[in-house]
Amino acid sequence: MASYILRRLLQAIPIVIGISVVSFLIVHLTPGSPVDKFRTPRVSPETINNLIRLYGLDQPLPTQFVKWFTHFWTFPFDNSAWGYSFTDGLPVRDKIFARIPSTLWLTGVSLLVTVIIAVPIGVLQAIRQYSWSDKIITTFETIGYAMPTFWLGLMLKQTFSVQLNLFPLFGENSFGKNGDILDLLWHLALPVTTLAIIQIAGWSRYMRASMLEVLRQDYIRTARSKGLTERSVVFKHALRNALIPIVTLLGLTVPALLSGAAITETVFSWPGLGWLSVQAVTDRDYPVVLATVMIGGVMVILGNLLADIAYAVVDPRITY
Amino acid sequence: MTRQDDGTPLLAIKNLQTHFATADGLVKAVDGVSFSIRNGATLGVVGESGCGKSVTALSVMRLIERPGRVVGGEILFDGKNLVDLPDDEMREVRGNAISMIFQEPMTSLNPVFTCGSQIAEAISTHGGITGDEAHKRAIEMLTQVGIPDAARRAGEYPHQLSGGMRQRVMIAMALSTNPDLLIADEPTTALDVTIQAQILELMKALRERNRMAIMLITHDLGVIAEMADDVVVMYAGKVVEQSDILTVYEHPHHPYTHGLLASIPRLGEKRERLEVIKGVVPNPLNLPAGCLFRRRCPNAMPICEVAPPLQEIAPGHLSRCWLTPAGDPPSVGEAPGTDAALVAAAALSVEQ
Ligand SMILES: Nc1ncnc2c1ncn2[C@@H]1O[C@H](COP(=O)(O)OP(=O)(O)O)[C@@H](O)[C@H]1O
Ligand SMILES: [Mg+2]
Repeated sequence: MASYILRRLLQAIPIVIGISVVSFLIVHLTPGSPVDKFRTPRVSPETINNLIRLYGLDQPLPTQFVKWFTHFWTFPFDNSAWGYSFTDGLPVRDKIFARIPSTLWLTGVSLLVTVIIAVPIGVLQAIRQYSWSDKIITTFETIGYAMPTFWLGLMLKQTFSVQLNLFPLFGENSFGKNGDILDLLWHLALPVTTLAIIQIAGWSRYMRASMLEVLRQDYIRTARSKGLTERSVVFKHALRNALIPIVTLLGLTVPALLSGAAITETVFSWPGLGWLSVQAVTDRDYPVVLATVMIGGVMVILGNLLADIAYAVVDPRITY
Repeated sequence: MTRQDDGTPLLAIKNLQTHFATADGLVKAVDGVSFSIRNGATLGVVGESGCGKSVTALSVMRLIERPGRVVGGEILFDGKNLVDLPDDEMREVRGNAISMIFQEPMTSLNPVFTCGSQIAEAISTHGGITGDEAHKRAIEMLTQVGIPDAARRAGEYPHQLSGGMRQRVMIAMALSTNPDLLIADEPTTALDVTIQAQILELMKALRERNRMAIMLITHDLGVIAEMADDVVVMYAGKVVEQSDILTVYEHPHHPYTHGLLASIPRLGEKRERLEVIKGVVPNPLNLPAGCLFRRRCPNAMPICEVAPPLQEIAPGHLSRCWLTPAGDPPSVGEAPGTDAALVAAAALSVEQ
């Protein structure tokens, strides 16, 4: 297993380089330049040229890339590794690291809520396939799946914050209540509900399909033929197998938690990575955009690896 | 468990009807099947694929799933009618007094549990022993079915075993509760020939030791010859011939049975090609009127437009065919040929 993981990590290197080149090019080839916003009649062309030289934008692209890429990976030791934000001059690394806890709270809690609710729903639907309860839940799942996140977020906010005044409008803490966990959870309620509703719709469909697939397997008939109770057949023999693809999916999802939930964070002004990257794109804050894209890419690779490891852990048929 | 042989059969199926209400129409997979199995005896059930053998077996186990349903008949076992036994009592029978093994050893074991734990589960469900004791008994069972190094194998997962080994595990699991009846649904069909022979030998040996009855389902009369005391031949959801093994081999009556016998490959016999029955089993959604075998039958006669009843042509020998007991076409003017007999026969076949 250890050698497998090592091999996979080595295989990941060219992929990471590929991701880097592509993200770098996309950011640099988009029309416009980060110095554009300084081009006002009151700023002299020399100043602009100085800025261009200061940022290194006058050098050939390959040079810029190599400089950026090699510097990028020194981030554990160097807070300037990801450069400085064009908007406020702060080290990008520190800006991003500061956002990680908020993002993890939001995505982590919502994933937990999602799994706890979606798995039992999917199982219930599968064992009562085509019943009224299955059909009604399916309808809600379809609605939930089709609903745009921003719209759902705004509706929840409108109803529960504005009209009923039950939950805060934005942010993650009330003034002066930093570190108060109850206050944090209170702020989390609506954004988590938004994310969870949409995710539950998808995950419960997935669980239902997985369970249905397992329930028609021969070994389920064998389990019944042994005289086991229906409970044991469903929750021991079937569920254990039906969870295998779910755990794999979870492995894929966990690292994505870090990339944040851009839309939900933006709607609720949740100070996480997702909101940061949306702001950075709007501001053409290249270093921040690049860093968040890179984090996203690396997380996808790690997610795949984690999914494969999880697969081997839960399915005895898989060994590496 | 050993039972007193007081003449009542261990299992008596009476006019069993199991139908599937599919989207395309009603499939009468089992349509009025009756037979019984004596204590300790082996009954072979033969017929081509799709004749309703598995559905009959699953009906006995009460494992028919939607859209299927037992719509009529009785399954008497140990003084109880399994058809309307409450679920909890049926679970006591299932895997305990009646065990079943299936055709597909590759997929019949749960891939995420060890072989030993799957056997131990059957034991602790019915045997009153649990934990280490059940596990020890599971290893004993694996030894009994001829798995070398049983203690190690018990800790392995199904995918680590070959098909033959997995079928042995299934047998160990089925026999771990000392059933009175073992239903074996094509237990060797998916295995290659040498392994087939080994599994049949094993079943014979275990049958002697455990004094259990076996309902052996197969499409291969050769396998039946090895194992069975009595034979039921099924065709399109109905019994077409039934008798003891010798009679079926030496004086088969129904043309379908003749056809099945002709298609057994024999060792040392040079034949250009195996004879097979021409044509296919009729579409269960659109069964022809009259004898269901008539369109494939080399002996088809005008009278076959009327469905023949299952009649006793000799003591203990039943056949669903208009041919005389000697195998000749019924002559006009003789009993079944007369108009009156035709009408009577038609009435009978409606009841059947
Ligand atoms: N789940 C099902 N739904 C519809 N028809 C079924 C189902 N299971 C079996 N049948 C029908 O029942 C008939 C008998 O099947 P089966 O007992 O499996 O045959 P076999 O003799 O090969 O074991 C077939 O015509 C098959 O199409
Ligand atoms: Mg079958």
